[in-house]
Amino acid sequence: MKYIKFFILFSILASFSANAILEVNIIKSKEDSFPVVISSFPVYSNNNVIIKDTQIGNEIASIIRDDLNRSGHFNTTAEKINTIPDFDFWENHKKDAIVTGKIVQTSPKTYNVDLYVYDVYTKKQLYGKRIGVTNASIRKVAHILSDKIYYTLLGQKGAFNTKLTYVSISHNGHGDSKYRLQISDADGYNQKTILPPTSKPILSPVWSSEPGRLRKIAYVSFENDRSEVFIAYPYLGINPTKLPRFDGIASSPSWHPDGDSIALTISKNGNKDIYIYTLKNQNLKRVTTNVAIDTEANFSPDGKSIAFTSNRTGQVQVYIKNLKSGKISRATFEGSYNAKPVFSPDGKDLALIHRVGSDYRLALLDIASRDLMIMTQNKSDESPFFSPNGGMIIYGTNHNNKGILSIISLHNNQTVEFMHKEGELREPSWSNYSN
Amino acid sequence: MSKKILLLSSVIFLSSCAATSISELGDKFLDLINPSEAPSEVIDLSEPTLILIDGDGGFTEEELEVLSNDELIEIAKEKGLEDMLEIDADGNLKNRDEIINALLEAEALLDNATQELQSLSNDALIERAEEKGMDSIVVSGELKSLSNDELIEIAKEKGMEDVLVLDADGNLLNKDEVVKALTDNLIILDEDGNIQNKDEVVEALREGAEETKLAALILENSGITSILYFSFDDSEIDEIATRIIIQHANFMQSNPSFNLRLEGHADERGTREYNLALGENRALNVKEVLGLYNLEDRIVVVSYGEEQPILTGSNEEAWEKNRRVEFSYY
Repeated sequence: MKYIKFFILFSILASFSANAILEVNIIKSKEDSFPVVISSFPVYSNNNVIIKDTQIGNEIASIIRDDLNRSGHFNTTAEKINTIPDFDFWENHKKDAIVTGKIVQTSPKTYNVDLYVYDVYTKKQLYGKRIGVTNASIRKVAHILSDKIYYTLLGQKGAFNTKLTYVSISHNGHGDSKYRLQISDADGYNQKTILPPTSKPILSPVWSSEPGRLRKIAYVSFENDRSEVFIAYPYLGINPTKLPRFDGIASSPSWHPDGDSIALTISKNGNKDIYIYTLKNQNLKRVTTNVAIDTEANFSPDGKSIAFTSNRTGQVQVYIKNLKSGKISRATFEGSYNAKPVFSPDGKDLALIHRVGSDYRLALLDIASRDLMIMTQNKSDESPFFSPNGGMIIYGTNHNNKGILSIISLHNNQTVEFMHKEGELREPSWSNYSN
Repeated sequence: MSKKILLLSSVIFLSSCAATSISELGDKFLDLINPSEAPSEVIDLSEPTLILIDGDGGFTEEELEVLSNDELIEIAKEKGLEDMLEIDADGNLKNRDEIINALLEAEALLDNATQELQSLSNDALIERAEEKGMDSIVVSGELKSLSNDELIEIAKEKGMEDVLVLDADGNLLNKDEVVKALTDNLIILDEDGNIQNKDEVVEALREGAEETKLAALILENSGITSILYFSFDDSEIDEIATRIIIQHANFMQSNPSFNLRLEGHADERGTREYNLALGENRALNVKEVLGLYNLEDRIVVVSYGEEQPILTGSNEEAWEKNRRVEFSYY
């Protein structure tokens, strides 16, 4: 295994966002990755003559390379190619595909990007279009170009232009910890703390799937010294709202795909069951009734069923309830501890946490065949969540006794790690596609 | 004529895109795209503006360091450190480091109880005050802007008639005193449910907090252990635990002014939300035993799951210490 290490610096945007340094490790897999050349993109000013800024062009190409490398599908090389590539030369150098392009900046926030993707062996152009982009940052332009390249070469949607949310914890050395609810781009850049830091624990943040400003985050907070579910509206500028005070502790929220209702765990008279709460009419519907612990609900992508964790047999196992028929079926049969299930975007698999000996590891369950595949060799994995295209899973794990986030490619198990230089990261969740 | 050529070239370009075979066009291909040509697709990548919610939490040193001088001046004024500010003729802050230290110190100086109470959210503070038997009233506007008759009515309703000094005609003679007494002893809420007299409520509770310290001290001297430990993924109360719980039941019966908060905890193994449920089950099982002594009404149960370990570290020694229920009296 080879480690590529680099550092990312965030700028300070608000008085309470500390100048955090996020470190990224790629534990690279040589298996099954396409060797692809990504040329730098010359940037022209509007008259198409003068090269305006080579730095922006280099930066965009470099972000695209990082994006594609992170997916596990590609092994990219940097070059400078301004004409139709010499296919025989690249074939000799064992490259499969070439990406070139140029950028014309037509106004400060508007670019026309010409993007070309070539197949080296057939010597054919697979993609060649001019794309106009408005209101874009350099990083965002690069991410949508990565999406185009990913789709051209693999026939699958890319998830580079998406967001993460997670919790960071900093310890001040006096035993006090500060919890921060964070959001960032899918590559860990542009981290923003969306609520004031608090000494009270924050858990389980999760994005709703609406587009743009309406996108919200449900999370659990101990702000009032007990577990309660809140909804934050990062783009509306209004204070988080608390779900009404139910008769017991509320925790473990999961959005219905339509964003109108939330599955959550409520402890009434000490019995922890799963309920569905509809935001508009404040209707609360009980979904499970077992006297055992039922928690960690997750809606299927079609909204028709929920997967959840229960210790109803004395062991901790994962179950799926069909919300229409009311039928509950057990999903996990291997091992004595399977918990925190989340559906893959196609609804066919569950990512979950499976105990092996004394270790808790990320595992992937094929629901129909019941095949369980253990994905890591770690000691304490937690909180898995799929990328919206299903190509990757992000999860929390431990590295030198410190919480970090890991992203694993389901293509070849390549792993990318996000860590804070100081402090810990936990409880990640991935947004839906942006637009 | 030239228009036609332009049109033709764009047709060649577009059709070549569709056909994907363009190698015969050679090196000139890239130049075929005329800047006036419309993009085949326009994507608006504007991102909704993130609007950050400001808070009233404390500051850490690193958070203060990154602030501008103007922001520091603003905060220092808010925190009552205006007289410490040294500002030159141009309005620039001269003693930046000193102000940062003073702000950090001011925070440390707040005694623990006050600091804890000040950090509670509006709802949590109301709840804590109500638990302590404080009564609340809803007043639109300020208390002192109410009429004498209204004040008299509130005082009577809240059982505070003895503060009132009335003349022979029933007119209020000591309005200021009554306003102060009401402010010190009641939770005064505005129409949105926000506490108007936070400082007074905190002060009233701080005295209660000292009582809590006293309760802890008495408990400590009585030699009763205030933490119960549990086995892995288990919330069973064994014989030893039962004996300790009975000691607490006796303690509560002989100290009827103390209420009990049972905090359930779990070790780090397993998923966080499951551990939250497990911690609650542990505390609930303790409450059930105390319920045999009819003490339920004086007990609140909370679970922190694996969020507040006593020992950090991934080993049996730490796990044993972290699977627990803590008894805390208030």
